[in-house]
Amino acid sequence: MSQSTQPAQSPQSGSAQPQRHENDIAIVGFAQTDAHVRYDGPEVVLIMECVNALLAGAGIERHDIDFTIAGSCDYLSGMPFAFVSNVDGMGAWPPVYESHVEMDGAWALFEAWLRLQMGDIDVAMVVGSGKSSPCNAREVFHLQADPYAVAPLGLDPDAMAGIAARSLIESRKATETEIAEVVARSYQAAASNPHAQIRSTASVEELLAAPYDMAPLRAHDVSPKADGAAALLIARRDRARELTDSPVWITGLDHRIESHHAGLRDLTDSQSTRTAAAGSGVADGAVDVAELHVTHAHEEIILRNALNLNPSTAVNPSGGPLAGDPVMATGLVRVVEVARRIAAGEAGRGVAHASSGAALQQNLLCVLQGGA
Amino acid sequence: MAELQDIDFTLEYPYTRTTGPIIGPFLTGLRDGRILATKVGDRVICPPLEYDPDTGATVGPENLVEVGPAGEVTGWTWVTRPTSKHPFEHPFAFAQIKLDGADTTMLHVVDAGSEDAMSTGMRVVVRFRSERLGTINDVYFVPGDEPPEAPEVDDDAEPVTITEHLIGVRIREPLQPHRRRFAEGLLAGKIIGQRSPADGKVHVPSRGYDATNRVPMTSEHDVEVADVGTVTSFTEIVPVQYHGQTETEPYIRCSVLLDGADTTVGGIDIRDISVEDFRVGMRLQMVWRDSGDRMGDLDNRGYGLNEEVYERWEPTGEPDVDPESLKEHNF
Repeated sequence: MSQSTQPAQSPQSGSAQPQRHENDIAIVGFAQTDAHVRYDGPEVVLIMECVNALLAGAGIERHDIDFTIAGSCDYLSGMPFAFVSNVDGMGAWPPVYESHVEMDGAWALFEAWLRLQMGDIDVAMVVGSGKSSPCNAREVFHLQADPYAVAPLGLDPDAMAGIAARSLIESRKATETEIAEVVARSYQAAASNPHAQIRSTASVEELLAAPYDMAPLRAHDVSPKADGAAALLIARRDRARELTDSPVWITGLDHRIESHHAGLRDLTDSQSTRTAAAGSGVADGAVDVAELHVTHAHEEIILRNALNLNPSTAVNPSGGPLAGDPVMATGLVRVVEVARRIAAGEAGRGVAHASSGAALQQNLLCVLQGGA
Repeated sequence: MAELQDIDFTLEYPYTRTTGPIIGPFLTGLRDGRILATKVGDRVICPPLEYDPDTGATVGPENLVEVGPAGEVTGWTWVTRPTSKHPFEHPFAFAQIKLDGADTTMLHVVDAGSEDAMSTGMRVVVRFRSERLGTINDVYFVPGDEPPEAPEVDDDAEPVTITEHLIGVRIREPLQPHRRRFAEGLLAGKIIGQRSPADGKVHVPSRGYDATNRVPMTSEHDVEVADVGTVTSFTEIVPVQYHGQTETEPYIRCSVLLDGADTTVGGIDIRDISVEDFRVGMRLQMVWRDSGDRMGDLDNRGYGLNEEVYERWEPTGEPDVDPESLKEHNF
């Protein structure tokens, strides 16, 4: 039931070393904070620490940036207009074109990527941040559901995930053991991620011995909510080449949404991910690394299938959200993680995925590639 | 001395939504004892939609059909620890239910007693709550096929055209470190600011950072400033009466630049100086409450002083400061 308008896609994509168009956009800097169980200070300082690290790493000043945009959610900290204060963390001076989405920072990246393609400015900063520790995120995110027929039931994303996981198991597309394997693998990978929140060596057997919570899911199948921030700098071609020797090109970026009426969706598949994959050109080259916004363990299995990833792709080598979920930054962290590996030469091409809404309702894919 | 408490409050918004030509009859039906769906082409969709999901074409009330009252569970999860937003305080199931006569599933709750009573493919049937308000929570489901007793219906009740949903988030957190030090200072009779390491300006109350220079500040940047200052701007507030309003008489709200500070303290209310006598440049002294009467009512959200620590502000009698010199501080 995904929409099927013309996919958004940059002029160049593919695995061969292409000519870059002047409006091709590259990531030229990235930063992320730890996924804090509870960050003591204000969300503004969380952002400020991330932005200061970003600018220092990229070797540019705040006045070199033409456009800033953030993704966050005021309900999490219970502070109306928190997103306005947050601008202080990004640098309110000098004045600049500024925007905000009440979504994960990955959608802020989408707007910034479109904005740069207008061609009149060169550099944008993208931030995603969340301070979720003051609230119970389940009591916030059921409000994303249909306000007449679903939200008043308090049907939150964890409960929807439980329904989807059961459907996946009963349709024989996954087993409980395979779901536990996703968690165990995520924890193993997170051991080498300094920003991860969970430090665990739990085996599949140990995980399967835990009690159900939202059966057939268990507590560890649900991502641990965290306080955190992520930030990116993106630039048009010529400026990108000036700013770094290792630009990470955004060769495709697309996001799609499925119906708010869950009865019209197949919860064992992700049609919107399939459509976004076609739109962003995921299959146009080898995928060395995929960072997936898996907030419920079984979703990795759905996404692997929808993206048609083969076994050679490293999936969530950071440990992914199951090892630390800085709500509203988590999707943008996926982009940071893929970009970091490409910039370091550890991967040539990869895909970052971000999700919003219950049971993978809305999905964004960002295809990244290295090379000057 | 008062103890500083962790912050614990509930942020609420009472949403009222118009229901429109399809959701209105659907919610009216739940209140009055029946479940309505829309027939769109060959498909019967429940909960109903105002449009054809394939084409976007408008679907009118003539397409409404009754479904249920029983149906089949096609997917479910068991909630062992209900949240404050769930319809039951005891464990229950959220389920996708394909009602008899419908082609899509509806998400709802099944009060099954135990997880063992739940299975995919099981039959469930609607129950109407005794108090029904025209919302999705007017009903719930139970295992089995036994039709519900016809609920008592008020034949004179108007159709549901508005539905109410009170949303709320409970927020719990400690005072942030800079706020805690500021609050502790006030209880001890001191006003604590922070001096920016970037430009030396003193922020009072500090937000824990220097926004102009993007510098976080810590306890090493704390400085004490005076409880005497200069009015930089003010307005007279004539209270408008609204739900929750406690003010009845006009009063002055002003900003004060404390001696030793570079930022103003806003939101200071003056009730015992007449507006005719009040002016920018006027020197004011804060009159503290006795230390035993100071309250620690401060959160992470405001940027002003805690008015529970002082009695009032009174003129010092010093000559006014030239307002021209306060231009930088008039907001």
